[in-house]
Amino acid sequence: MTFASGRHSSRYGLRQACRAEWAKVFSIRSTWWTLFVTVVGTLVVTALSASSAAHHRPGWYQGFDPTNQSMSGLAIGALAIGVLGAVVFTSEYGSGTIRSSMAATPRRLKFLLAKLLVVGAVALAVGEGLTFSCFALGHAILGSSLVPPWSLTDPGVLRAVVGSGVTIGLLGLMGAAIGAAVRRTAGAIGIYVALLFLLPLLLTKMPGNLARFTPLIIIANSIAAVVRQTGFVSPVVGFVLFACYTVAIILLGAVVVTRRDP
Amino acid sequence: MISVNSLTKQFGNARAVSNLSFEVVPGVVTGFLGPNGSGKSTTMRTIMGLDTPTSGTALVNGKPYRELNWPLREVGALLDANAVHPARTAYSHLRCLAYTNDIPLARVDEVLGIVGLTDVANKRAGKFSLGMGQRFGMAGALLGDPGVLLFDEPVNGLDPEGIRWVRNLLRGLAAEGRAVFVSSHLISEMALTADRLVVIGRGALIADTTVRDFTALNGPDSVRVVTPDVQSFAAAVRRAGGEVDLVPDDAVAVRGMTSAAVGELVARERLIVHELTPVRASLEDAFMELTRDAVEYRSGGSTEAALIGSGGEGEL
Repeated sequence: MTFASGRHSSRYGLRQACRAEWAKVFSIRSTWWTLFVTVVGTLVVTALSASSAAHHRPGWYQGFDPTNQSMSGLAIGALAIGVLGAVVFTSEYGSGTIRSSMAATPRRLKFLLAKLLVVGAVALAVGEGLTFSCFALGHAILGSSLVPPWSLTDPGVLRAVVGSGVTIGLLGLMGAAIGAAVRRTAGAIGIYVALLFLLPLLLTKMPGNLARFTPLIIIANSIAAVVRQTGFVSPVVGFVLFACYTVAIILLGAVVVTRRDP
Repeated sequence: MISVNSLTKQFGNARAVSNLSFEVVPGVVTGFLGPNGSGKSTTMRTIMGLDTPTSGTALVNGKPYRELNWPLREVGALLDANAVHPARTAYSHLRCLAYTNDIPLARVDEVLGIVGLTDVANKRAGKFSLGMGQRFGMAGALLGDPGVLLFDEPVNGLDPEGIRWVRNLLRGLAAEGRAVFVSSHLISEMALTADRLVVIGRGALIADTTVRDFTALNGPDSVRVVTPDVQSFAAAVRRAGGEVDLVPDDAVAVRGMTSAAVGELVARERLIVHELTPVRASLEDAFMELTRDAVEYRSGGSTEAALIGSGGEGEL
């Protein structure tokens, strides 16, 4: 028996691999749990953070950045999306599925790319969904306070909201690439958490204010900030740095995936 | 078909496969026999493109696995039945595999039917028993309806009924003109399933032959004799050109003579024998004979235990 070849393809490719990876991600219950935690965790923290800033005296809102305040929950979203990305790879190595996957898509870069595209697309969609929801939630909670009127059309606000969503997408990719390089769930999540939370803590204890270059600080104080804060990099620089980190970690993952046999 | 040419695979200082060459041709079942840890799994992984050879090549239909246009439609493999995400259902797992090679989803139902897992298609693979897992792995191998099939220890964990099912399946696949390559450390199973044999020990080729030739060449038949006068009997046999070995239970084994010739000799020489039994050489004996020096882990001097023992996985 021979199968009618799918449409125009003469050999397996990215399209087939992406379709399979997409189906894989959503055929496991833990994906839905992780997404649920991502969304709920982020929104709960944003709600708490916004509430803490509500109903102060008018003077309190001097230099206040309601958009930035609304994005507070992204720390949770950032953590969860990286875990989701990492597990996409580590669960395959842990269960041995990696061998049937690589037998089906033996070009390893193609395989890696398909997984990254799927994780990136999911993380980006989740990220944008989150940032816009956070904005709406923050707006609703702070609306009755004496915050000066603010909206998406104000200068810098849309950039902060969309940009923050993109960083969530990139963090998903970082998590996935770390998972590809490390192969073990615990190790990958450990490294990811260290990169996100421990590294800035460590660097603030050191001279040189290097913490401002770490991913989470870039999101919180550069990209998600509408009111420019001193001591932090600009949104553009932050974004370039963020993209460079992502590319670097992906390259590392690619080297490991192609060099080390499963 | 599969052609392995001067394949060598080195893991650090350990050489798992050493200058191995053989072919697996369509239409027959080729057994891949060797003690645990002899490099069978590594060889199969290399054929599948999962391990990169240190030197040499492993080609499927003339190409390295990675160069195949639709790998799953050319090669199907069961290398490790547990290589499934435990939280994914049987159907989902196969569906994902089908997508990668543009295999119609109807084929997923078909192969689940072939291996008898239709009823548990929507059960999570992690809940499968060992036997169900092996059947499920078979379904994965058959998914692309490939002309080349590899099975690594497919009868592990199966009950007698399951073993017979696998045997018939493999023979049926070969009869349809496919190249079937199946590894095992169970010699008796290979004797029943395989037509040809590739025997390796310590990663190197020991024999590449048919099951029949292998047995005939390496395990000569003998005649078991019990006699009260071993001395005279042995002398008579030697005069007749045979060889005599002492074997357990006060018996002797005569080699180089048929049981009829031994019987006639006994009558001619007026000797007394209490027992005269032709002993068929088994594939097992032949295998022992050949791999005696090639057994990686000898346990307390008992070669037998190391070779055909529990069936535990010693492979790399």
